[in-house]
Amino acid sequence: MSTGANEVNSNESLADVAAANREAEASGEAGRQVTKAFGEFAEERRDYYAGTFSKIQRSTLSPFHINIAATLGSFVWAALRGNWFLFWVGFAFDMMAAANLGLVYRFDQARQAAIEDDKGYLVERFTDWTSNHLIAAIVLFIVGRLVIGWLADRSYYKQYSAWRIDPSKNNGFKLQRLVLAGVIVTLIAPLTLYRSTQDAPGARDCLKLVRAMQDGKEVATKDRFDCATLSEVPTLMWFDRPPQYSYPRNDDGTRSIVVKESTSKRQVNLNVWLSEIIDQRIDYAKAFYGYIFDSITAVLRSLLNAIESVFVATPWPVTAGVFLLIAYHFAGPKVAVFTLSSMVYLGLFGFWQTAMSTVSIVIASTIICVVVGMPLGVWVGKSRLGSAIVTPILDVMQTIPSFVYLLPAVAFFSIGKPPGILATVIFAMPPMVRLTALGIKHVPESTKEAALAFGASPRQLLMRVELPLATPSIMAGVNQVVMMSLSMAVVAALIGAGGLGFVVVDALGQSEIGRGLIAGIAIALIAMAIDRIVQRANKLEEER
Amino acid sequence: MSNPTPSKAPTGDPVVEVSEVWKIFGSRADEALKAIRQDESLGKAEVLEKFGAVVGVKDVSFDVYQSEVFCIMGLSGSGKSTLVRHINRLIEPTSGTLRIAGVDVGSLNSKQLRELRADRIGMVFQNMALLPHRTVRDNIAFALELRNIDAFTRSQTADKVIETVSLQGYGDRYPSELSGGMQQRVGLARALAADPDILLMDEPFSALDPLIRRGLQDEFLELSKVMGKTTLFITHDLDEAIRMGSRIAIMKDGEIVQIGTPEEIVTQPADDYVADFVQGISRLKLVFAHTVMTDPDAFQQAGGSIEGHETWPTQSTEADLDTLIGEAVDCETPIAIREDGKLVGVVTKDVLLRGIQGES
Repeated sequence: MSTGANEVNSNESLADVAAANREAEASGEAGRQVTKAFGEFAEERRDYYAGTFSKIQRSTLSPFHINIAATLGSFVWAALRGNWFLFWVGFAFDMMAAANLGLVYRFDQARQAAIEDDKGYLVERFTDWTSNHLIAAIVLFIVGRLVIGWLADRSYYKQYSAWRIDPSKNNGFKLQRLVLAGVIVTLIAPLTLYRSTQDAPGARDCLKLVRAMQDGKEVATKDRFDCATLSEVPTLMWFDRPPQYSYPRNDDGTRSIVVKESTSKRQVNLNVWLSEIIDQRIDYAKAFYGYIFDSITAVLRSLLNAIESVFVATPWPVTAGVFLLIAYHFAGPKVAVFTLSSMVYLGLFGFWQTAMSTVSIVIASTIICVVVGMPLGVWVGKSRLGSAIVTPILDVMQTIPSFVYLLPAVAFFSIGKPPGILATVIFAMPPMVRLTALGIKHVPESTKEAALAFGASPRQLLMRVELPLATPSIMAGVNQVVMMSLSMAVVAALIGAGGLGFVVVDALGQSEIGRGLIAGIAIALIAMAIDRIVQRANKLEEER
Repeated sequence: MSNPTPSKAPTGDPVVEVSEVWKIFGSRADEALKAIRQDESLGKAEVLEKFGAVVGVKDVSFDVYQSEVFCIMGLSGSGKSTLVRHINRLIEPTSGTLRIAGVDVGSLNSKQLRELRADRIGMVFQNMALLPHRTVRDNIAFALELRNIDAFTRSQTADKVIETVSLQGYGDRYPSELSGGMQQRVGLARALAADPDILLMDEPFSALDPLIRRGLQDEFLELSKVMGKTTLFITHDLDEAIRMGSRIAIMKDGEIVQIGTPEEIVTQPADDYVADFVQGISRLKLVFAHTVMTDPDAFQQAGGSIEGHETWPTQSTEADLDTLIGEAVDCETPIAIREDGKLVGVVTKDVLLRGIQGES
């Protein structure tokens, strides 16, 4: 500050300067400086914005303060002020209100039609809808305006703060911005309003329409526009139906390939075309490389059999006792009590065998996840190449909803427990790999360097330094794997993996809510018990 | 140049020979090296811009002798840690050779290199770099374990070293239960456990608070005297370098600016950079009579009289300023500096004051 009363002599002490500043503030001189900046920012209606902003800075702005201009102008005001956030909010509210008005128009038309057709129940329904949407339109409009009016000065002040830091940010009051706003409005508003005032064609009608177009029949432009342009993205590519392959077995056990050209003249869209191609590839792989899938299935089945022979075949008092001991030993008395009560629940409701079958699947897939995932994680953690290859795959695996995994499992391994395990493994593996890699990466460079300086070989480095230091992270990975395996083992009941999940799926299918609920609680109890035991054990281990 | 004190003069064959070592970081290091060799004036920034390469160590040569504590002193980024990591080949030089007891380290295969690291070289790190999941004893025995020495021998050896660094009773604790100073004792013990010939100490005491640092320095000096291990001691602290080092190499921007005994460094700084460093250093224990004394003839020419010098207090040429001051305080006459009974120099109070000031 270098004007008037604020000018200070360089040899005055700091205290004097501070005193001078305080005085200037009191006399309004410093205040005026800030106010000037407010004015420069606002350009139009400087005094109003200077006043509001200083109230905001002093926290004296009334909680009910509303900017009248913004309330009336809404997104137009926001555009003029260059506040695009408020523009979109305001525009969205007004658009929703307008769309509701469009609906009012549409249902009113429908009501007229129903009156002409003399369908009393329809008239009643459409009358209801018309008034509902009218109310909605009014409420949305008023609420939207009030929201904008309330937000306006507060958001504009934020814009001011940003502008102070970066003067290239929008400020002032510029008519040119209305052009951009106009373009946005003309791009969005007409189509949206058109949609709301017209009856949307049903999917089946559209399919008929497409067929008719393929057969070369005349189709009204409006229908074509409604179906193929507004509802769906227009289909640009049409394909000939791919030929049908089959692979019958010959007398000598070999298979031959039989091709049957498609007889349909209708072309298909990309979706249908690719699905058929994929189906054929899978059939081909199953026909000629079936032994691969069969042997994988066999391995999974024998692993599962081994585990099931322990958990399912052992009499329940033995297994339950062992579980209790494990819980007590690794996680302490509290968790043991919880485990006991969960087991009592399972027993009372007759879920013991079913639960053990689920637990067997969980254990089988956990074993596979750890055995495969840990080395993979080490590779990812240590090698840039490994990370470059595996990380994107893991990303994809984790983004895909668990449900979708069932598909390839069924495609190649049909249904049953082995494909269930496989789907579970694919679903539950990523955290194992990731957390192992994370643990390995987080081993301090200096510790590794020290080990090398004392003559450690790469193998010794891994086994005696990196893996031990990564253990907490690896254990967290195992915990995750167990929990995710359990959740997926339940979903895998859909492809015949059995267990508690099957009870839920079955109950769902037959609308037996009670049975499903009891089984669902059993699953939740198992999950909680396992989680408690593993987490508590990890915690105790770390404390040691 | 005055004679360096004989006791500190390097003798015998060098244990570590570093000759013309260059280290340039970056994928185009070789190109960069060629360019720098052709054009000496190529600066750091230019190398970085042209080749995307960073010069870590620039044409460094020195020898370290048996039982010597050789300090490498420099500020952070001067390349001292990089340099020391070449000795056990944790870092490969871009060019140049390193020999340990005459053997070219660069020629070793990975097995021989591991043996060298495990048997011959112990290393201590600034951040200790102990293994948190192992007890103190197991940490110390780590190098032995890597050489597949049986557990019994390991723990015996470890216990012996634990005693050496006065950590008795802590063998079964975990590093996290120990204070910083004690952790660094463990680090030192780990380096000593395999009884190596050479100790590499990478700023071992820098992370410790001053009192503990001083204590450890003293202890290490004691140990060093007893064990006589050839030591490369890295530090950014000139005081520490002077306390610990029999010789000091001062590094700047990857180059060695000066190598010399502490006295040489303090009394004859090679350039302004070193002079700047040395400025605040107390000279009392570093400057000796032979540096400050006036020649008897010159003394007489300047109008002084050496009459009756037989009765003057006598000191050897090895006496430091501190001793000389103690002597001068209680007497009127100058101090006579004698070697084998013969008068070789005179130290007056004026000379002493100048000597302390550093403008002899």
